[in-house]
Amino acid sequence: MHVFEGFLPSPWWQLWFVFSIPVILYGMYKLNKLVSERREVVPLLAVAGAFIFVLSSLKLPSVTGSSSHPTGTGMAAILFGPAITAVLGVIVLLYQALFLAHGGITTLGANTASMAIIGPLVAYLFYRAAAKSGMNFYLNVFLATAIADWVTYVVTSAQLALAFPSAEGGILGSFTAFATVFATTQVPLAIMEGALTALIMKYVVQIKSDVLVDLDVLTTSAVTKLKEAME
Amino acid sequence: MAHILDDYAVLSPLRYKNNWLKIAIVTFGLLAGVSSNSPLVPFLIAICMSFATLYFAKVPASFYFRILAAPAGFVIVSVVIIAFFFGEGAKLFSFDVFGLTLGVSKAGLDMALLVFARTLGGMSCLFFLSLTTPMIELFSVLKATKLPDSFLEIAMMMYRYIFVFLDVAVGVKYAQSVRLGYKDFKTSFRSMVMLGTNLFIRSWEQGEKIYVSMNARCYDGKLILLDDKRPVEMPELMLTLAYFALVVLTFYFTRTVSVL
Repeated sequence: MHVFEGFLPSPWWQLWFVFSIPVILYGMYKLNKLVSERREVVPLLAVAGAFIFVLSSLKLPSVTGSSSHPTGTGMAAILFGPAITAVLGVIVLLYQALFLAHGGITTLGANTASMAIIGPLVAYLFYRAAAKSGMNFYLNVFLATAIADWVTYVVTSAQLALAFPSAEGGILGSFTAFATVFATTQVPLAIMEGALTALIMKYVVQIKSDVLVDLDVLTTSAVTKLKEAME
Repeated sequence: MAHILDDYAVLSPLRYKNNWLKIAIVTFGLLAGVSSNSPLVPFLIAICMSFATLYFAKVPASFYFRILAAPAGFVIVSVVIIAFFFGEGAKLFSFDVFGLTLGVSKAGLDMALLVFARTLGGMSCLFFLSLTTPMIELFSVLKATKLPDSFLEIAMMMYRYIFVFLDVAVGVKYAQSVRLGYKDFKTSFRSMVMLGTNLFIRSWEQGEKIYVSMNARCYDGKLILLDDKRPVEMPELMLTLAYFALVVLTFYFTRTVSVL
């Protein structure tokens, strides 16, 4: 969910930039290192970013009829790791603000924090931990992306609550209010996005599994096992 | 499919105006709007920027108001929450829900109005930029900053491929829907998965192909971008300064108006 332009008042939009900029700089440093070692990743990362943008502009089929879009960043985090995803995410968010009127420039810091940094980081950590414990790959992808999607909404609710504390309950009071409206309504959407990503992964394993091995998402033996299970 | 504002920007009569001037106008509006204490300043900015977008950039009014309504869902819900929960003092009106008293105080209502005005002002500034300046023009501005080359290159190639993949996505979606691929919830989910997968695999193969083709054309990690000089003309400068002065004056006179 994007926080729109002008929504966050003065100390808060700057603070979220202060939070996001070091992470992005770290991501750029990692990116530069990767690019100097393997030049062929530049076009691959560019098309991956374009893929995130296009995926996030598709409408999810929804039961309630409300319009909603997948974030796509959970999938990117599993594929490319959180540092690179943060950099791709900033570019995607900037393009969304300029092309689709989603988000904004002063709120770019806050949106980056929730959608390009915290959400993907959660997805990545969950995926790695669960993969180590031997969880089924598809279930793992489903849970990682669904949780990341939902965490994004919780962070956005927290951002709004910090900026507009409630008179009686303080920050916690308004967080409850924002989270009730935004985070609970997003649970079905998070499940949808998780299911979508898991099924996309299933087809990718079927058709082009070497990509997943290249990106270090799965080992060769894991891919063979998944393919055997399909037959 | 969402509207790509860039389509309007490419054809905009303001496209070949000085980029830095446009960015200065927008940055000024964004900062003045977000730091003002009175809803009057952002409203004034919204009116000026909308006028500039509709009159100088000749954006169709029906399209403009439709995109201006895009954030409405998010903004209305959040503004209502702020109105109910923010600020203390005498309640203007209140009612009971399940034993809980919900009320709107003066401070809460003022804050909600201010946030609404700021979002409106901010969005109209953003629309002015995105409806008059195609991304290609902004790249030359970004080149002047100290951002690393690899970052800018990825941003530029991403820009190109967004349009390629959007075309693919629109085509596939159309083909799916004429075959009743979106007739109910289950089939639309299935179609969407296939669309996503296809897009991913296609984009991956495309990425490998571009690398080969760029290498064959002596790509050495740098895309060179040339921009032409576009001096700021006097009438534009005068108009911009008049706008700045108007906003600064309003800002100055409303600074003591405490709505908080």
